[in-house]
Amino acid sequence: MNDLLGSLFALLVFPGLAFLSTCALAFDWLDRRVIARMQGRVGPPWFQPLADLIKLLAKEDILPTGANETVAAVLPMVSLASVLTAALYVPVGGRVAASFEGDLIVVLFLLSIPALAYFLAGWVTVGVYSVLGGNRSLLQYFSYEVPFLMALSTPAILNSSWSIAEISARQLTWGLFTLPLGFILALVGLIGKLKRDPLDIPKAKSEVVAGALTEFSGRKLALWHLAMSMQTVVGIFLLVNLFLGGSKAIFLAVPPPLAPVIFGLKALTILVLLSTFSVLYARLRIDQLARLGWRVLAPLALVQILVTVWMGG
Amino acid sequence: MTRVTIPIGPQHPLLKEPLSFLLTVEGEEVMESVLRLGYVHRGIERLCQERTYVQNIPLIERVCGICSHVHTTTYCQGVEALSGLEVPPRGLYLRALMCEMERIHSHLLWLGVLSKNMGFDTIFMYAWRDREIVLDIMEELSGGRVSHAVNVVGGVRIDLDEEHARSILTRFDVLEQQVERALELIEYEPTLMARTQGVGILSPEQVRRYCVVGPVARASGVDIDLRRDLPRPPYDRLEFKVITHPAGDVWARTLVRVRETRESLHLCRQIIAQLPDGPTSVTAKRRVPEGEVVSRSEAPRGEVIYYIRSDDSDKPARLKIRTPTMTALITLPDQLRGATMADVPVVLSGVDLCIACADR
Repeated sequence: MNDLLGSLFALLVFPGLAFLSTCALAFDWLDRRVIARMQGRVGPPWFQPLADLIKLLAKEDILPTGANETVAAVLPMVSLASVLTAALYVPVGGRVAASFEGDLIVVLFLLSIPALAYFLAGWVTVGVYSVLGGNRSLLQYFSYEVPFLMALSTPAILNSSWSIAEISARQLTWGLFTLPLGFILALVGLIGKLKRDPLDIPKAKSEVVAGALTEFSGRKLALWHLAMSMQTVVGIFLLVNLFLGGSKAIFLAVPPPLAPVIFGLKALTILVLLSTFSVLYARLRIDQLARLGWRVLAPLALVQILVTVWMGG
Repeated sequence: MTRVTIPIGPQHPLLKEPLSFLLTVEGEEVMESVLRLGYVHRGIERLCQERTYVQNIPLIERVCGICSHVHTTTYCQGVEALSGLEVPPRGLYLRALMCEMERIHSHLLWLGVLSKNMGFDTIFMYAWRDREIVLDIMEELSGGRVSHAVNVVGGVRIDLDEEHARSILTRFDVLEQQVERALELIEYEPTLMARTQGVGILSPEQVRRYCVVGPVARASGVDIDLRRDLPRPPYDRLEFKVITHPAGDVWARTLVRVRETRESLHLCRQIIAQLPDGPTSVTAKRRVPEGEVVSRSEAPRGEVIYYIRSDDSDKPARLKIRTPTMTALITLPDQLRGATMADVPVVLSGVDLCIACADR
């Protein structure tokens, strides 16, 4: 009975649905606010992401004729579910719901499901912009995913474990300092994965309207947005665990009650880094991204892996 | 690979005004494009024949929402030439001042739109914030931010006192700093250059064949500017450089426009410094003697031409407007051929479209 309650708590409250959606909305707001301040604007009030979500949930849900309604309804749920499942294996503030040797690979697999669902969403809703956006998302996936996976495997090699909790716990010095290149590559890969500026190529408004999600509205779109925001949170938490030593401070021993605070601060730092990237650069073209991915990022990731192995993984 | 037809417009997030492009696309590459115009045709030329010369001024101001002042300036110049009116120098200087401020505001607006369309929101926000400085000044002078209603046949209806001039000059200093910063960005920012260099190239031959005017022509190395080539007072007494660039791509257009913004700022300063005393306007007669005139001036987007024929009544017998956007629009299929889908917004914004101008 206790076991069942524990699982339900993990799934629905922490680090599951309730915690993740709160984080997603909070991160969303902070991101918008930070970007706004950097651009000389005021930015939205704190409840804006929540208000947007409620507004979308209440809106009429229509799809164009010829769209596959069942698949279109299932896809956002699948993305949401896979992100939520991935979150179970990512430690937050030193606490983890589930962990086993090799969960890093499972999490990375679960985190690529939304990308594929996004591509499919473009196909099943038949709009011309949707298809174009879907194709672009797949091209983008092939450009960032390989360097991203390679970069995330470096801390695993260095700490000789493929469990996120283990890697986080074993880091004596932060991965950021031992694997600086890996961290930067992972950050760029994360931007590509989250389709954030300047790699928002699949949903570039002035080119393909809203990309694969052009024809979505109402509840489905709300679920998509929530899934994307949650992916941001999980992605940031993952990076904190792999490269910033989880909830450990740099020189001091952290008393357990402070661990979540330290973890939160690190997560916010990465969020602000992501916001800064989106303020600083113009959107790349898809061919420029493919070139960047395969000619620059992938070789650099290879170098980082070789260095890691040499360092004594 | 299969060809897909992608509609850009009449409604599309890229366009701020209705215009339709049918792009035939193979993968990401644009093979063909078909342009359709006329969604905002308002029949202004015909309407002008129904109204008196004075009533036409507010109407002509609405040809364009951005360069409204240069349209009325060109129209009034024409009517004044027909009626043989001599506008007092102070009126001419104030007209030119508004023209140059309008150029600044138009170019900054354009810089924002281009940046927004290539996914560089930061420059968009900065450019539009700085544009507010000029808009505020124009509002103080005339009462309107973009529709100023400054011109009357025979002069202007605004005036500038000394104290106000001083306050304007201090704000120009702030604006100049911001323009210099924008220039630095354009010259050195790698992602901006990656998106705009080599995109939407027009050769000088193409420019001449299509009669392209304004910054687009100057960015292809064609050295034309009516302010210098057909100097009317006060431009014959002002010093300024005509900015050109040989590259002919969108990056060159960006550079040319932002450098022109800086030149316009210098012009505004000179105008305020040299502002002669005297009346700002003379009274015009209702009737305009028979005749015809071609009136031209350099709008922010290039040469704008008004043809007016009068028949000794208080209404024009014929009025024809040719706007610079029209010439730029015709070059777009050429510029788009072989571009990728991601270049489309950059190319379309690169020529600074003003659809309302083109449709009239």
